[in-house]
Amino acid sequence: MQALLSFDKSPPLSAPLRFFLTAPVFAMLAGILLLVDGPEVLASRWSPLTLAATHLFTLGFMLQVMLGALIQVLPVVAGANLAHPARIASGVHATLTLGTLVLVWAFLFPAPGLLHLAATLLGLAILVFLLTAGRAVFAVPTTSPTIRGLKLAFAGLAMTAGLGVLLALALGSGWSLSLLDWVDLHATWGLGGWSAVLLMTLAYVVVPMFQLTPAYRVRASVWMPVSLALSAAVWTLAVLAQLPWLSGLAAWVMALAGLAFAGMTLVLQRQRRRARPDATLAYWQVACMASAVGLVLWRLSGFALVEDWSPLPLLIGVLIMMGGYGGFITGMLYKIVPFLGWLHLQNLAGPGKPVPAMNKLLSEAAMRGQQRLFFAAFALLTAACVWPEWLARPAGLAFLLAHAALLVNLLKAVRAYRACRASLGQAA
Amino acid sequence: MSRPPPERVLDARYLEPPGPFVQTMEMLDTLAPGEQMLLLLYREPHPLYRVLQQNGHRWSVELQPDGTFEILITC
Repeated sequence: MQALLSFDKSPPLSAPLRFFLTAPVFAMLAGILLLVDGPEVLASRWSPLTLAATHLFTLGFMLQVMLGALIQVLPVVAGANLAHPARIASGVHATLTLGTLVLVWAFLFPAPGLLHLAATLLGLAILVFLLTAGRAVFAVPTTSPTIRGLKLAFAGLAMTAGLGVLLALALGSGWSLSLLDWVDLHATWGLGGWSAVLLMTLAYVVVPMFQLTPAYRVRASVWMPVSLALSAAVWTLAVLAQLPWLSGLAAWVMALAGLAFAGMTLVLQRQRRRARPDATLAYWQVACMASAVGLVLWRLSGFALVEDWSPLPLLIGVLIMMGGYGGFITGMLYKIVPFLGWLHLQNLAGPGKPVPAMNKLLSEAAMRGQQRLFFAAFALLTAACVWPEWLARPAGLAFLLAHAALLVNLLKAVRAYRACRASLGQAA
Repeated sequence: MSRPPPERVLDARYLEPPGPFVQTMEMLDTLAPGEQMLLLLYREPHPLYRVLQQNGHRWSVELQPDGTFEILITC
């Protein structure tokens, strides 16, 4: 064999790991908030406690994992190499972490200037990421649906962050802004134009690769993210031009694209060639179904029969964010972390030298154990949207435990990686 | 794209990593300069491209409607 996988352009393992290990801590903080404040966190979509819990999860958990994963996988899935990845990773991670903490603090304990500080820190973290990773992605030709999707996703991240900064400055400065419309727009870009586009784009690579399924058909893999990005753009125009019927139309297109992706993924997984189901497969199956139910409820929420049912907005959020994105992301972490550890060990060992298999770095039993806690937490949190007085605190405890177990599992994988590396005689 | 004979076609679509990379490099080792092989994958192998470039090989890619990347490598 002439050469093993080329790692000369790849970032060190510590670059993504710092994001992956921070993410469960933020989810644990969201669990603690729910455990301490109970039903108040689920009282309304607009309460400061709910906003704090939501951003602990979206910025603290979801965005941490997404940015960490991108820094590592861009050279592999797109041939896009970041300049100085280790330095960028440590700077973006520190600023994002601090910015998230300040934003959550500003929601919980409002004080002059805090929202401005949070907006500055978070805006800076994302701007640096976009200028470096975005520049690398836009420099490569669009030779696959994955690269096209990544370019769209980066534009979605820019819109989400821009709207978030605008909202924080508006709230902090008392600007008159139609908050309802702009918050919806921020959520639309964040969950649809950025997160869903990125999820689809990475799924095109990781679902066939790790679950041994057929590929997504090319035509679908192009139109699904393009429809999401276009509908988010149309929604923005609808808000600016104050055309509610147009934002309604964009919402339907967005929901249909999401449903198509969830359905297609479930069908592909049924055709997989890997005989034994694993934790990632179960996570993705539950995530597909939870997102699909959430999207259907979202589109039904405008109809007279259900529009006055007060738990509905939070229920939709829990289904899509925790059941959907939480499941997709955790399932993906369970493949990415052992795979990256194994890949780096293989590279350190050199061609032809055996290194421990991926499942030696993190056992299936450990992942399954954590998964049971996650599913219990998801079920409790879903039910808590309907019966918050009884179930909000048990759901918070379960959420805390599920993500503590995730952190323990990731640390186990890191420890196993370090032990193997030491046995290969490599310096730390 | 002209297809090489069947024994020079590596269908790696259902192989777990690093199987596709390792088997491609093994097949390339059996080729004489100017000979070709065809790699079938459900993703674009960017790390492989870097190694091919380092080793002076040429390649061209076609994406099929079912999501298969057909990568024709010339040794």
